[in-house]
Amino acid sequence: MKRSLAAGLLALFASSAFAEEAAWAPSTFELSNGMDVVVLPDTRAPVVTHMVWYKVGSSDEAPGKSGIAHLFEHVMFKQTKNIGPEEFTSIVQRSGGQLNAFTSWDYTAYFERVEKSQLGKMMELEAERMVNLIINDDPKGPFISERDVVKEERRQRIDNNPGVILQEKVLSGIWKDHPYEITVIGKMEEVAALTPKDGLDFYKQYYSPENAILVVAGDVTPEEVRTLAEQHYGVIKPTGTASTERKWKPVAPIAETQLLTHSDPKVRQPNWSRYYLGYSQRRQPEQALALDVGLEVLGGGLTSRLYQSLVEKQQLAISANSYALTTLHDEGPAVLTASPAPGVSLETLETALMAEVEKVLAEGFTEAEVARARNKLAADAIYARDSQSGMANLFGGWLAIGGTAEQILAYPDDVRDVTPEEAIAAVRAVFGAGKNYIEAHLLPAEGDL
Amino acid sequence: MRTAQLILASVALSALAGCASVYDWMRGHPDTAGLDAAAKPALEVKVHGGEFAQIQQFVTPGGVSVWLVSEPSIPILAVQMAWKGGSAADPAGLEGLAELVTYNMNEGAGDLDSLGFATAMEDLNMSFGCTASPEWTSCSVSSLTANAPQAMDLVATAFAAPRFDQGPFERFRREEEVGLKTRETNASYLASRATAQALFPGHPFARETSAESLAGLSTEKAREHMRTLMTKDRLIVTAVGAVTPEELAPLIDKVAAGLPETSTVSPVAPIDLSKASVTQTVVSLPQPQSLVRFIGPGIDRNHPDFFPAFVLNYTFGGGGFESRLMKTLRVEKGLTYGISTALDPNPSLLSWSGGGQTKNESAGEFIAGVKEEMTAFVASGVTEAELSDAKAYLVGSYPLGFDSNAKIAGQMMTVRQEDLGVDYFDRRNSLIEAVTLEDVNRVSKSYLDPARYSFIVVGEPQGMKAPAPAE
Repeated sequence: MKRSLAAGLLALFASSAFAEEAAWAPSTFELSNGMDVVVLPDTRAPVVTHMVWYKVGSSDEAPGKSGIAHLFEHVMFKQTKNIGPEEFTSIVQRSGGQLNAFTSWDYTAYFERVEKSQLGKMMELEAERMVNLIINDDPKGPFISERDVVKEERRQRIDNNPGVILQEKVLSGIWKDHPYEITVIGKMEEVAALTPKDGLDFYKQYYSPENAILVVAGDVTPEEVRTLAEQHYGVIKPTGTASTERKWKPVAPIAETQLLTHSDPKVRQPNWSRYYLGYSQRRQPEQALALDVGLEVLGGGLTSRLYQSLVEKQQLAISANSYALTTLHDEGPAVLTASPAPGVSLETLETALMAEVEKVLAEGFTEAEVARARNKLAADAIYARDSQSGMANLFGGWLAIGGTAEQILAYPDDVRDVTPEEAIAAVRAVFGAGKNYIEAHLLPAEGDL
Repeated sequence: MRTAQLILASVALSALAGCASVYDWMRGHPDTAGLDAAAKPALEVKVHGGEFAQIQQFVTPGGVSVWLVSEPSIPILAVQMAWKGGSAADPAGLEGLAELVTYNMNEGAGDLDSLGFATAMEDLNMSFGCTASPEWTSCSVSSLTANAPQAMDLVATAFAAPRFDQGPFERFRREEEVGLKTRETNASYLASRATAQALFPGHPFARETSAESLAGLSTEKAREHMRTLMTKDRLIVTAVGAVTPEELAPLIDKVAAGLPETSTVSPVAPIDLSKASVTQTVVSLPQPQSLVRFIGPGIDRNHPDFFPAFVLNYTFGGGGFESRLMKTLRVEKGLTYGISTALDPNPSLLSWSGGGQTKNESAGEFIAGVKEEMTAFVASGVTEAELSDAKAYLVGSYPLGFDSNAKIAGQMMTVRQEDLGVDYFDRRNSLIEAVTLEDVNRVSKSYLDPARYSFIVVGEPQGMKAPAPAE
């Protein structure tokens, strides 16, 4: 339990990079149709990770059509003019490839991991479904069964899990009236009403080379990638239909402090959280970095203030953390969260935890603890290089929201420049007196305690 | 502070790098570990130059057997250590003891208490932790290469002078107390417990921690049990990183120096699922979906049916969208987000199992669908095209398992734990290629009969009743 530190929210991709290693560098270039290309060399194994990122996500959905970005991502595996029903996956796996896709608020990404000689074939397949997708409109056909699959996916990811149900409500509150308000997978009743035509409209508007980024990581040179990419993707004409203006906008401050509770017979251990509005690395790069450092000191690990005070000294909690979601284009939540020790009420836990936070806000951080946090974040960037697909995700995700490869490369130096004053200033600005928040209590069902 | 001392403690490392003469001095001089490093002859390193990994095998001067892949391109080092014997060896009534031991391994050693140890690890940007599975106790270390000597010194302290302080022990008990409650609504846990109680009740694999067993644990018992679980003679090590054998060997020896020479851990009696009576069990849990698990007898790696079964599993439920279960239950019927199957070659519990989740209303249809597919496998096996697709994927995708240091260290550890031989990576694809349609269909017929399978359902499946709760 103590080792599961920041929750799934954060696990996505903490930014990282490697300025001290001059030998390692990505290449970036653009095809004549506007498609961006990133090549991340890694010659350890004869393997490549091939990804196509589309600059469209759930935040681009029309009102009442929540879940279309994600359902459409599933439909991309179905059928094209030159690839029969369900054959896309067969061809990739027959080539020894692994494949999948994922959808976020900000982007949708498709990937294949293959032995390097198969790279050209993977490009041919992705290029084919960029232009030639067929959406079957049989009212009892594959679009409809895929909709049922997504409903099962929603039950599995969200509805089975009381903690996730509560988090969905809280995030909707944090992002009220913002394009991130509805969860990526969509509302059950809106997903159930999506039609093949919705899928086709979405495809025509957003899927085009000028709205896509190609990322290739692995045992391949930039020249080889350029040749193959020009051959397969370079010939595709831009459609010009994808709006260059995303619906992104600054997230409004939380209008009023509120308490959301969720009780469920499956909950056997209560949980306490407070969600404040934090920063985004795109909108407020310096503050977001300082906030990440500050929250590492406040509640990042076993040596953090919250863990040492709440779990170790006072023994009121079995876990206590702080973290922020800073990797979306727009501002995300900054969170304080704790789970009580047996017999401790949420009220007692809250009082003690907030007292520790107040103390930190008043007194600030020491140079030593900030130095440790900075070094950890910088070292994480080196460890991250061990995962080829992780690196492809890091660059793809950051570029898809308008960032640059140079910014990723500068990260270790940037993080090492954060001063204790900057770290505490960012934490004060987010959690300080007068800031509204959404408090969340996850509770057992009445009578179950 | 502490870091400065650790750095000073480990300067003599580079002295080893220059040694070039290769001779098997180790066997003749088993007690030279403490001597001046520069005076030693070189290690005998046996290099296995395989297609997927160049494995360097050596025995350290202190007698520890290590497999290392040197990978200079990223300045990190990953070391994995494992000992046969794990939580199944907990004394009856002291379930949770192995877990308590491993929990404590990074909770303080020597002069460092829990906070001091965690701070030292952060100062070194390293990680170190241990876990216990039923039959293995494992530890892993990750470090930046530049800090590797200091990191391994810290790990050495953890093995030589672990503190087993009262504070971390009480924290462990608080966490476990919460765990006892939360597991009661964890669908996966409930399915595993129901499986164990139905198919191998009373076996060590069916035992679990309880309030009573936790009450019986103590720091003294943990300290003592550590010396049973972690010994020099059973230690196996794999490592991947920017180091040479000559650089790594003394670090490993320091780590192992504090371990007892040997101990006795009683082996686990194997479970034979083909002798257990088949069950259909429902465990009630209030949630919108039912988790369905199914399990039948598996096959030993050394049995001629193993590789045919391994290949068949791809078409059955192991091949993602290429498996028949996925094609039918997800793609055609929209009943689930995912369904998969796997063969477990663990000789103590050979199994072939699978599972998925579906809304409570369709649990019956889901189970019927699984059984129908299994019956079709028994009746007519797979097609030539399915077999060739399965082989193409299994062979073609194998390099993907070797594209990171962490994956290579893990793959080597599996090979060592299962005693597959250093050339296994290079033999594995030809074992798959050799499988024939006749083999696969023979295995299909004898193993995939749904009558050999138990089904365990957790949720509120419509039309299926859970037995009254036991308590």
